[in-house]
Amino acid sequence: MDNLITTISDNWLDIIVPIIIFGAALITLLWLRKRALLSLNRIINKSNWPGNRILIHSLKRPSIFWCIIISALLALAASSTTTYWKNIIAKGFWSVFIITFTFALITIINGFSAIILLQYKQHKNVINLVKNILMVIVITIGIFILLDTWAISTTYLLISIIIILIILALVFRDIAPNIIASIQLNTAGQFKVGDYIKIESGEEGYIAATGWRNIELKTLEDNTIIIPNNRLTRSTIVNYGHLLKKASEPFRFNNRMHLTRLTGLKARNLQELADILKNAPDDIVYYHTHHFLEEQYYTVPQLSNDFAVWVDTALGDDILAERLASIGPFDFPGIGALRDRLVGIINEYINTTNNFREAEPGRDFYFMTTVSVIIPTTYVAHDLREFTEALRKISLGSLYFHIFESKLRLGKGLNDFTVWINDDLGEKELADEIARIDPYTYTLEGLRSSLIQRIEKRIK
Amino acid sequence: MSRMIPLLKELGVDARWNIIQGNNEFFQVTKKFHNALHGRTEKITKNDFNCFQETSQKNIDEMELDGDIIFIHDPQPLALINRKEKVGGKWIWRCHIDISRPNPAVWNFLEPYVNQYDAAIFSAPAFSRQLPLRQFLISPSIDPLSDKNKELPQQTIDAVLEKYGISRDKPIITQVSRFDYLKDPVGVIQAFEIVRNHIDCQLVFAGGTATDDPESDKVLAEVRERANNNPDIHILLIPPGSDIEINALQRASTIIVQKSLSEGFGLTVSEALWKAKPVVASAVGGITLQIRDKFTGLLTYGIEGTAYDLRQLLTNPEYANWLGKNGKEYVRHRFLITRHIRDYMLLFLALEHPQDDIFYL
Repeated sequence: MDNLITTISDNWLDIIVPIIIFGAALITLLWLRKRALLSLNRIINKSNWPGNRILIHSLKRPSIFWCIIISALLALAASSTTTYWKNIIAKGFWSVFIITFTFALITIINGFSAIILLQYKQHKNVINLVKNILMVIVITIGIFILLDTWAISTTYLLISIIIILIILALVFRDIAPNIIASIQLNTAGQFKVGDYIKIESGEEGYIAATGWRNIELKTLEDNTIIIPNNRLTRSTIVNYGHLLKKASEPFRFNNRMHLTRLTGLKARNLQELADILKNAPDDIVYYHTHHFLEEQYYTVPQLSNDFAVWVDTALGDDILAERLASIGPFDFPGIGALRDRLVGIINEYINTTNNFREAEPGRDFYFMTTVSVIIPTTYVAHDLREFTEALRKISLGSLYFHIFESKLRLGKGLNDFTVWINDDLGEKELADEIARIDPYTYTLEGLRSSLIQRIEKRIK
Repeated sequence: MSRMIPLLKELGVDARWNIIQGNNEFFQVTKKFHNALHGRTEKITKNDFNCFQETSQKNIDEMELDGDIIFIHDPQPLALINRKEKVGGKWIWRCHIDISRPNPAVWNFLEPYVNQYDAAIFSAPAFSRQLPLRQFLISPSIDPLSDKNKELPQQTIDAVLEKYGISRDKPIITQVSRFDYLKDPVGVIQAFEIVRNHIDCQLVFAGGTATDDPESDKVLAEVRERANNNPDIHILLIPPGSDIEINALQRASTIIVQKSLSEGFGLTVSEALWKAKPVVASAVGGITLQIRDKFTGLLTYGIEGTAYDLRQLLTNPEYANWLGKNGKEYVRHRFLITRHIRDYMLLFLALEHPQDDIFYL
């Protein structure tokens, strides 16, 4: 104790001066820090960028340490301590500065990434990845500076890091392209979870999830398709957009196949044609005014019916043939009215022209009908997009059934598509538009395209 | 049938094919019936009916018959329906000929048999008549992969032409059909002779003789006599099973003609159309289902008309090619075996719903 008192009394100046310098420097630096923070706050208040607050918050605490460290270094410089100890203590303070600075930077990176994430939630994976990479870089640089401060060799650490990076690159060489592709896809932001996409190789469905390596597609048949990200960046993708309104009841597509049934009834002249037609069941009238629609699927559309064709080719009467051909079934609410019109035209023509021509033997008009077998398909639609995609794939027999046969032969009065879009989807405007299409002026393929076009327009 | 049965088996239908037995006299009678049902005048005696009934009874007694659905093809085995009660199942009569204007005596004899069937199938609407049973229209078909219709290398075609001494240097007009009066072979020669007066060309008449057609030898002799050793007329008696040769002759042809006076369906027309050949054919029977006049071929009504159309096509090869191309597409959609199989499957379903013209599965 006596020694200590003696040492202090002998060297009081060497002790008191550094303490005074430390105190004065600390007070000054803390005052300057406060002023700086106040100025910064004023500037921040003028700007709405939330990153400013992060910046102040991140610097507030470490800056106290930095004031202490600078004050201590000034005091150290004024002290009479030996150079050796001065160096060691200075390195210690410098190390503390490096550590606090590194933590400050990490806090800033974390804060900034949180802000960016709020604005770009869809790029969560990319933002987190970039944040982690920056943090690793900052910590690594901090460690290197610390080691360098204490004159510890960094060569081995550098080599180790390079070796680890090479090993990682080799292990993840297959995954890496997908990760890079994922960054590309996320950065481009061309699609998101919930979108319905179609890839040029044929896969299509709703995006159920996205990841570093692949995305998951949910198909209309409820299957899951996993597609690697790097395949997506190399493909043409059609993005149909978000989920659509679901129908109260799904539309189930049916297919229709038919077998022609002969009735044994035949007509040789116009009078016989009119007489049989007048009492013919609706199925027979329906057949002769509709079956040509299925027959002409690889030719051009032409308004026609069997009666017109027969009058032209077997009786050689092209005037009446034209009159009969111009009758569009679309203009009639049902088969009964259509039959009445056909019979009316034929009878009127007989009365005014006295046409008694007879067809050559074997070229009579043979009345026929069909036996239709309705078969359920696997295509089911819950919304307009699923409906459009199914519409692209169903057979022409299926399209024919839902547009023509269901409306007229089953006597529903409207085609099935119109009914579903109106009743189960509540899309009255679109339903009305489809109901107004005259399907007799299209080939079945043309009708399919027209329907798809109208529905796609509505989706957009 | 040899092409249909394996395909039906592939689809899970245990299909089998049986043939009735009969002597020469029986087939003489059935040939007369065949002609009479087509509307030709035939002298049918009581003995003929007895012969038909006796042979039919023998087949009824001896033939192995069982199944859920029994198809009876043509009028010859029609009387097998008498086994219906014992065998059970649904019975279908597959009628390949035109019975719209039959000889009344023959029809009155056969009608009671026909009326016992559950359904009848015809190849063309014009063949049917009012019957108290359901009638369906099912066209016959060709198998595009069979020897008769598959693609052939040029060497095979050349070899067949060489074998029969047919020149490649002149247009070839071909009719492929049995030697049968109903195919009007003499009319074909007459039409050819008219064409030959204007255009240097040759005629190939290729056909065989059917075991159930005793008349064919007589017809062949008449045709040869009418050809009168004309070096441009090739009358070829092709042995049974020579499908590749028939195929080669059709493919080597410039035009294919089918000048039938009466016709069932006329599958040779489908075969020709499938080979994208321009076809000139009579507007009879099932030919009118295959040829849409001036779109998939040309329909004719007589010798002069046939000759005129042949000349038109020989002098307008672009038009001929266009017809051929359309014809091939027409057959692709309507007369291939796949459509035929589908129709049979639909028929099986229709038999399960005898009262319904529209039903859900």
